[in-house]
Amino acid sequence: LEAIMDGGGEDASKVIHVKFVTKLDSPFQAPSSSVVIPSNVTRLGLSSIVNSLLTLEKHEAFDFLIDGELIRMSLEQFLLAKGISAERTLEIEYIRAVAPRKEEKPSLHDDWVSAVDGSSSRFILTGCYDGLGRIWSSPESCTHILEGHSGAISSIAFVSSEGAENVTVATAAKDRTLRLFKVDTAESGDPTTRVGAYKILRGHKASVASVAAQKYGSKICSGSWDCTINLWDTDEATSELSVAGKRRKGNNQAEETQLEGEAENTFVGHTQCVSSVVWPEHDVIYSCSWDHSIRRWDVPTGKESMNLFCGKALNTVDVGGEGSALVAAGGSDPILRVWDPRKPGTSAPVFQFASHASWISACKWHKSSWFHLVSASYDGKIMLCDLRTAWPLSVIDTHKDKVLCADWWKGDSVVSGGADSNLRISSGISIS
Amino acid sequence: MTKKSDGANEDQVKEPKRNIVPSKSQKEAKEMKSSKEEEDLLLDSGTDSDYDGDSLSGSLNSDDFDSDIFDSEDDDDSHRETQDDEGSDEVVDSENGEEEDGSDDEGSEQREVAEESDSSEDEVTPRNTVGDVPLEWYKDEKHIGYDITGKKITKKEKQDKLDSFLATMDDSKNWRKVYDEYNDEEVELTKEESKLIRRMLKGEAPHADFDPYAPYVDWFKWDDAIHPLSSAPEPKRRFIPSKWEAKKVVKLVRAIRKGLIKFDKPEEEPNVYLLWGDDSASDQKSKHLTYIPPPKLKLPGHEESYNPSLEYIPSEEEKASYELMYEEDRPKFIPKRFTSLRSIPAYENALKESFDRCLDLYLCPRVRKKRINIDPESLKPKLPSRKDLRPYPNSCYLEYKGHTGPVTSISTELSGQWIASGSTDGSVRIWEVETGRCLKVWQFDEAVKCVAWNPLPDFPILAVAMGVDLFFLNTELGTDEEQQRIEELLRLDNLPELDEAAAAIAKWLPDEKYRGIKIRHFKNLSYIDWHPRGDYLSAVMPGGETRGVVIHQLSAHSTKMLPIKMRGLPVCTLFHPNHRGIFIIATKKYVRVYNLHKNGEPIKKLETGLREISSMAIHPGGDNLVVGSKEGKMCWFDMDLSSKPYKILKNHPKDITNVGFHRSYPLFASCSEDSTAYVFHGKVYSDLNENPLIVPLEILRGHSSKGGVLDCKFHPRQPWLFTAGGDSVIKLYCH
Repeated sequence: LEAIMDGGGEDASKVIHVKFVTKLDSPFQAPSSSVVIPSNVTRLGLSSIVNSLLTLEKHEAFDFLIDGELIRMSLEQFLLAKGISAERTLEIEYIRAVAPRKEEKPSLHDDWVSAVDGSSSRFILTGCYDGLGRIWSSPESCTHILEGHSGAISSIAFVSSEGAENVTVATAAKDRTLRLFKVDTAESGDPTTRVGAYKILRGHKASVASVAAQKYGSKICSGSWDCTINLWDTDEATSELSVAGKRRKGNNQAEETQLEGEAENTFVGHTQCVSSVVWPEHDVIYSCSWDHSIRRWDVPTGKESMNLFCGKALNTVDVGGEGSALVAAGGSDPILRVWDPRKPGTSAPVFQFASHASWISACKWHKSSWFHLVSASYDGKIMLCDLRTAWPLSVIDTHKDKVLCADWWKGDSVVSGGADSNLRISSGISIS
Repeated sequence: MTKKSDGANEDQVKEPKRNIVPSKSQKEAKEMKSSKEEEDLLLDSGTDSDYDGDSLSGSLNSDDFDSDIFDSEDDDDSHRETQDDEGSDEVVDSENGEEEDGSDDEGSEQREVAEESDSSEDEVTPRNTVGDVPLEWYKDEKHIGYDITGKKITKKEKQDKLDSFLATMDDSKNWRKVYDEYNDEEVELTKEESKLIRRMLKGEAPHADFDPYAPYVDWFKWDDAIHPLSSAPEPKRRFIPSKWEAKKVVKLVRAIRKGLIKFDKPEEEPNVYLLWGDDSASDQKSKHLTYIPPPKLKLPGHEESYNPSLEYIPSEEEKASYELMYEEDRPKFIPKRFTSLRSIPAYENALKESFDRCLDLYLCPRVRKKRINIDPESLKPKLPSRKDLRPYPNSCYLEYKGHTGPVTSISTELSGQWIASGSTDGSVRIWEVETGRCLKVWQFDEAVKCVAWNPLPDFPILAVAMGVDLFFLNTELGTDEEQQRIEELLRLDNLPELDEAAAAIAKWLPDEKYRGIKIRHFKNLSYIDWHPRGDYLSAVMPGGETRGVVIHQLSAHSTKMLPIKMRGLPVCTLFHPNHRGIFIIATKKYVRVYNLHKNGEPIKKLETGLREISSMAIHPGGDNLVVGSKEGKMCWFDMDLSSKPYKILKNHPKDITNVGFHRSYPLFASCSEDSTAYVFHGKVYSDLNENPLIVPLEILRGHSSKGGVLDCKFHPRQPWLFTAGGDSVIKLYCH
């Protein structure tokens, strides 16, 4: 600190009185007295000042907020740009910097990893172009393989868990079907257990692009290249074709227990491929499509209740953020856009992140934070975005090829899969 | 001039009248009074009224005029004179009136009738010209008067009273007839005239259209007054002449008399003048058209001194640069330095200038040089901004890598999920558009020439041309039922008998390796194209000359010859997108349109004017055609408009390899061996009077310079463009 103070002291006229405040717990509580610092410090300088104030054993990176905006330039420029007076004592809030602190070992697949789901904290679900779904309890340890698809899996979703161990998983694939698997995760995954589907959902006329499950319910929805969204029931008992259905040749031992299901409901409205669906609330489905629109569907009526026009073909959509109402979507250009549908009279995005260099393949809101998003792109980069700044918080550049999917896991990790056939986990992301 | 004198006039006028016409009827007197009042008004209306009075008298004396202004003493006398004249006029008038009265006495009825006839026959001049004289003067004469030429008008023979009575009894219209004594003839009154008379007899207004009870129009502004006109007495100032004006006038008159004010001054001669003629002379000359005023000579400055200061002397580089300039741009005088006057050489241009002078004397014509100064921006056509024409492909985000040789051909599937590509390495690949993943590979021995998806969405078959073979490949992308149908179709169980000519050209064979169909042709294939209905496929063999184009029917497993007499080497073919029977064949120089339903009847021949056609594409509307050539030119044909190109676009420095239209967006593109692809906005209006709008939008670069871009295809639903490069990469350009 002294060194910084001395360095800044050369130009004594350019100093600012600041007070550091935080919502962090005791080891990161700085003394609340005001400090004089040179005005030309950047985030790094501020971080080392706070570190020296805290006298931590291990150096910790911090991020700084003034009036709810992250500082991404020198303090002086920031104040000038925002028109904040440097005369009074400035209150700067600091949070722990959002960046992965640890890179887990990659989990190698046989083919491109096209889908990943991290909604369960105990395991990660991945879908792969070899037609197999996989369950990973930790990096490099695959406990289960979900088999049966004849085409590449395009999407995978965790549906529900009965008790602690039995879980239901839905997969969507390019062979025009969806499959439901029941997995007992208590089984030791050594050697890897192979699981067959208990139910096959047929009805789409083209590749299924995306699947999403209802929270606390037994339904799933799927978007497909045939421009429709289908609604399915996952229950074993209520299947219409519970009498073992048509049995197919070439199916292995799981054949006896396989059921077939038909779509409960079909939402028609999109004019091109429905590339992604999400089911954030009990009765609401959001979908995005290559016809440049994001639509909201009311599940009981099957009617469209909102239509956002984007102008670009969209690959991915997610709903979250403040009040779980913000819609983030990315597609055939390098810009990740965030809309606020509550805002009346406009369909212009409220936030745009343009740091990627190619198509965006995935974007996910953090489950608990209002501000954090992860986005993956074909340029091989995963970015952690914060609504409070236009620049990405951090860039994860571990994939060698296109990143096809990404998700949050356990609230502090990002899991991603890509065309380098690897599942990568970046952990230690502290989001308070 | 003054009120006083006016008052005097009135008295004087009134006096003589009373004297001369003492026995006048009341009416006459009233008339006189009113005329007098008019005169009063005239006199009152201003100082000018004096001259009005004079003009009445008929004589205007110039002396009077002069003295009128300046001599107030003579004024009264002259007025008296004029008033006297007026008085005599009145007298004459009144005498005329008396005579009229006299004629009135004779017969008021007759007169009335005469007046009526006058009014009805206004345009006919009365034949009798004796005038208003008592007719009893002609009572004993044989004539009643004289006509306009001075000849006597003889009286008519009087009818017997009895005869006339009988005649009147016979004639029902007799009551209308009136005898005109003046002209000695009977006049028949018209209906209108009789009505007029009747109305007058009743005491009504003579004309029916006169409304005596017309609504009253109030012309006055009341302004809260009881009476429309103010009865306030005229202000006094209106009657009093301006005292100050009179004083001013007197002052001026005195000044003129004393000679203080002079009217005509003698013009002064300017004592400074241009010695060598003036500029006004050149104005006259400049009226002449070809007159060019001589330039003003610049006065010599320091640089023209024999020993100018150093800053005027050009450096060696400057002198060298002068040498490079055009002669007319070169400076006329280059300063030089001499140490003394003695060392100055003779004038170097002396000889040349004297020669020029001789030319001038010979009147050799001098050419007036005209420089054209046009802003090059103004020559550009007015095109809409690129920003308004979005979306269009402009940046490359995805690449499809896997081929090991140049990619010769690509084809998009209708839903836009897949594309197929063929390469010279002998492989045909299917790619997933969304991720760039290669889904399927077929490996052949020969270089692939052309690939084409079947245009039906539920019939995912790929046609591949290479060497002499044409393959139909099952992509296995359809649903199970579709798959079954395709498998049945691709099974060659019972081949129909082809006629000899067709059999010599193509042979249908099963392809064991990929479970498809192989058609072996007698010459190398260069191009294939599906019919929009997905059953027929045309194949082009440039080596086949007159048999160079055949059509295969997939459902019947048969081959048909074209009923067309081919001229020239075929390059590519097209099926019309909307009219089923229309078939377009491009040869090296011409594009010909045929109707296959009418036995190959030629419809149109388009003259491209190109050296060698390489590719062609048709607008989805079907009326516009784009043709690309090997010299880098592209022609847009409006087939309804003309057989000549509507626009020729020359963009590419090298061969155009392919051109293509977008199915729904107003876009078209061309790709070339110079490794670029051009995207254009090509909007066709439904209004036939409006010409298509063509705007160049974007040059798509990115492929490596070797090999160029060999094919380009638009995504069927998005404004995206796929380009196949000689560098074995396929690129997707997005909006």
